[in-house]
Amino acid sequence: MPPPARKPFGLSWEGGIFLALLLYPLFPMFERGLFAATGRSLGEQLPLVFIFALLAYGLNVVVGYTGLLHLGIAAFFAVGAYTAGIFSTAAYAFQWPFWVVLPLGALAAAGVGLLLGAPTLRLRGDYLALVTLGFGEVTKFTLKNVVGITAGSQGLSPINPPTDHPAWSDDFRPFYYLTLGVLILAALLLRNLERSRLGRAWIALREDELAANCMGLNPAKLKLAAFALGSGLAGLAGVLYATRLTSTADPNAYDFNRSIFLVCCLIVGGLGSRLGALLGVMLLVGFDNILTPIIDGAIQQQFPDAGGKIFLTFTGWRLAVFGLALILMMRFRPEGLFPSSRVKHELHPDEAVSEPVEPITMGKTTGEVAAIDGGKA
Amino acid sequence: MPPLLEVTALRSGYGPIDVLHDIGLSVDAGEIVTMIGANGAGKTTTLLTVSGAVRVRGGRVAFDGHDLTRTPAHKVVSLGMAQSPEGRKIFPRLTVLENLQMGAFTRTDKPAIADDLEKMFGLFPILKERKGQAGGLLSGGQQQMLAIARALMSRPKLLLLDEPSLGLAPQIVTQIFDIIRDLNAKQGMSVLLVEQNARLALKVAHRGYVLETGRVTLADKASVLLNDPRIRAAYLGE
Ligand SMILES: Nc1ncnc2c1ncn2[C@@H]1O[C@H](COP(=O)(O)OP(=O)(O)OP(=O)(O)O)[C@@H](O)[C@H]1O
Ligand SMILES: [Mg+2]
Repeated sequence: MPPPARKPFGLSWEGGIFLALLLYPLFPMFERGLFAATGRSLGEQLPLVFIFALLAYGLNVVVGYTGLLHLGIAAFFAVGAYTAGIFSTAAYAFQWPFWVVLPLGALAAAGVGLLLGAPTLRLRGDYLALVTLGFGEVTKFTLKNVVGITAGSQGLSPINPPTDHPAWSDDFRPFYYLTLGVLILAALLLRNLERSRLGRAWIALREDELAANCMGLNPAKLKLAAFALGSGLAGLAGVLYATRLTSTADPNAYDFNRSIFLVCCLIVGGLGSRLGALLGVMLLVGFDNILTPIIDGAIQQQFPDAGGKIFLTFTGWRLAVFGLALILMMRFRPEGLFPSSRVKHELHPDEAVSEPVEPITMGKTTGEVAAIDGGKA
Repeated sequence: MPPLLEVTALRSGYGPIDVLHDIGLSVDAGEIVTMIGANGAGKTTTLLTVSGAVRVRGGRVAFDGHDLTRTPAHKVVSLGMAQSPEGRKIFPRLTVLENLQMGAFTRTDKPAIADDLEKMFGLFPILKERKGQAGGLLSGGQQQMLAIARALMSRPKLLLLDEPSLGLAPQIVTQIFDIIRDLNAKQGMSVLLVEQNARLALKVAHRGYVLETGRVTLADKASVLLNDPRIRAAYLGE
């Protein structure tokens, strides 16, 4: 009996979303229509979503795969951005090209990750959370204070674009495809990693460190590897972010709020799930950057004299809405909106057990294996 | 020939407290040895210290020609020591098959691993039926079988078993002990067994040690211990 077809047109949800995103710029009527309706260019907004999704992928390696609570991912995002700032602006003599700075930012962030991780990863979960949180804040204040190196709250600018071609600044598409391309490459890398020996080892470690240790896994080394990879992806995102802003921006762009926002994206999307990280970011960034202004605009049309009455703007309420959504999520769908199949099984065993469990015939067994291994086919 | 495992004057513990004060024991190649003792006597701690998961504070652990006193847990597996820890610590979100593969994590001989997988499925047919299911969805007894099979996947010379009968139905306990005895008799695998069910443990084992508050207080042939009036009173409920 062939396993049931779960993927329309042989594409996973993730593949389908990436395909749609790849096709979007080819149909300018969408872009024009959305612009006419909302006054915003989706083509300009989406690269920011891609960058944060990349950052979320990095965080997901640490928090989702390996189960280490990391509350300072923004610091590694900053390392990437400031690598771009230092090696590509005219403030320094380097002025290296984008294609050198991009991997350099990732390496620098991974290096900082190793330096922070080596002495601290032996700490138990809650202590590690505090250390990463503290590191994030220290990084932000350092960036603010060593004005001679970082230009303080002015930020380093202008960061060189990847090319001098005029299309770079006139058209949203080059940067759109650059960021989407990096994101898709990262997704492919992570997909392979999840199925590899290393990926399984991370999950085993998250599930039961003692048992994993007894199987011959080296927890310290595995955690350090996760930390380095997660930080590296965050650094990559940081370079792209600074390139998009053409500046490292104010150090406040790399504060605790950003770190927590990304943790929220993962929780909403589903910890440990690539699709969850992507859609969690889309949902929350979309809420923040697209839906909030639209609602605000509508309210203003309704109540033209509302100016200054903060309770009449949605922006004033958006964090409360955010918090409420998170609480409801934890209560009714703790595995996130788009969980990995592994997590679904554990948190809703009653649903999972409704699959045939008692006498299993060989045919059904194969079907089940195929369903769970589905992503690997 | 020196014993396969030799533990001398072992001392270890957690935080400021020493739990093991003076443990001496040995396991010969091809032997099943059991440790019995009251709750909190230090049986689990002894196994964890021997395998390196808890640090040695004094004394010595020697295994198969290696000094393991300072060897971390992740390195002892490839030397031939496997452990099925207390409380069947399987990986609930990995499938049964992936759990078994984790047991062979340190091995690189793929065809032989595939071979051993089939052997485990032969020993525990239920694991074959459930191989695509998440480990956490197995029943308690099935999880215990998985934990033991996972430990066997490293092809150990010495298997450390911590309370394999915990919470299992009697016929499953019998089945598991039959398998252990069989692996010992046919493949010469040595076993260091910790078990609450002292009677059963002493029937399966060749020799036994009695632990009391971190010290070995009695050591003898299992058949002798089984008839010792002190043991009968304290551990066999007579
Ligand atoms: N992780 C730990 N941290 C601190 N103390 C511990 C820890 N694990 C065990 N202990 C203490 O060490 C002592 C011995 O515990 P151990 O688990 O080795 O006993 P045991 O003989 O295996 O008991 P049981 O038959 O109940 O499994 C106990 O007093 C216990 O409180
Ligand atoms: Mg115990």
